[in-house]
Amino acid sequence: MRTISENDSCYCTINDSTELEKIRGFVIDYSKRFGFDDGLSYKIALAVDEVCSNLIKHAFRNDKTKEIHISVRIANFKTLEIIIQDDADPFDPLNTKSPDMIEYFKNFKKGGLGIHIMKLIMDEIQYIPKNNVNKWNTLILKKHLS
Amino acid sequence: MTTEEKFRVERRQIHDIECLELNGFLDAHTAPILENEIGKSLSQSKYKLLMNFRNLDYISSAGLGVFMSFIEEVRDKGGDIKMSSMNDKVFSVFDLLGFPMLFDIHREEEYLIDKFFNPAKE
Repeated sequence: MRTISENDSCYCTINDSTELEKIRGFVIDYSKRFGFDDGLSYKIALAVDEVCSNLIKHAFRNDKTKEIHISVRIANFKTLEIIIQDDADPFDPLNTKSPDMIEYFKNFKKGGLGIHIMKLIMDEIQYIPKNNVNKWNTLILKKHLS
Repeated sequence: MTTEEKFRVERRQIHDIECLELNGFLDAHTAPILENEIGKSLSQSKYKLLMNFRNLDYISSAGLGVFMSFIEEVRDKGGDIKMSSMNDKVFSVFDLLGFPMLFDIHREEEYLIDKFFNPAKE
């Protein structure tokens, strides 16, 4: 397995939930080559899966003509950054409240855990909504090598 | 890879307990298959359900959501959904969100079979 350098970046697109496996493989491969262990690479891929699943279901409503663009890069030799871009209506996941899991289980609630999982796994999250100049919403997920 | 190659369920009957062996990975694409399979059990009034995860490689919140969508009905009918034999990565997802608060999760299938018969067992 070759290692990756600061200037490497990888790029992948997805437009359907049948392709979630492909995107997980892409993220796991890159995370491991950067130096994360199996368990953390798996969790980082889970965070990306949750973002993509939400976009496909809620933002695109399973419209396969829409695309999510995912790229991965390294910052300062110690941080993995995953950039996820879409052109749906802006939705800032940082504005959502994390569920109280005790209440969640007590009331047998369903759904709404994807964003919570993403927040629990990643170290930093940044969201830049699309505007008149840039037509892509950009979500940046960051994980630091310890 | 076909959808069936990505995820499939095999069934075994252990006394009055229905054991569902989960194979492959559970994500937003494959979760409806599990939903359908659990629905089949309930339609036959089988409410003691044991999920064996030994061949499950991956789970996302879509998979977790399937268990949440049935657990209330199953317990109302006097049954339960118990879970055994998860690998460390899959268990870490359940654990991350606190699912062991709501579900019986154990490494050994036999332990959970016994617990169906002796609910007071710790």
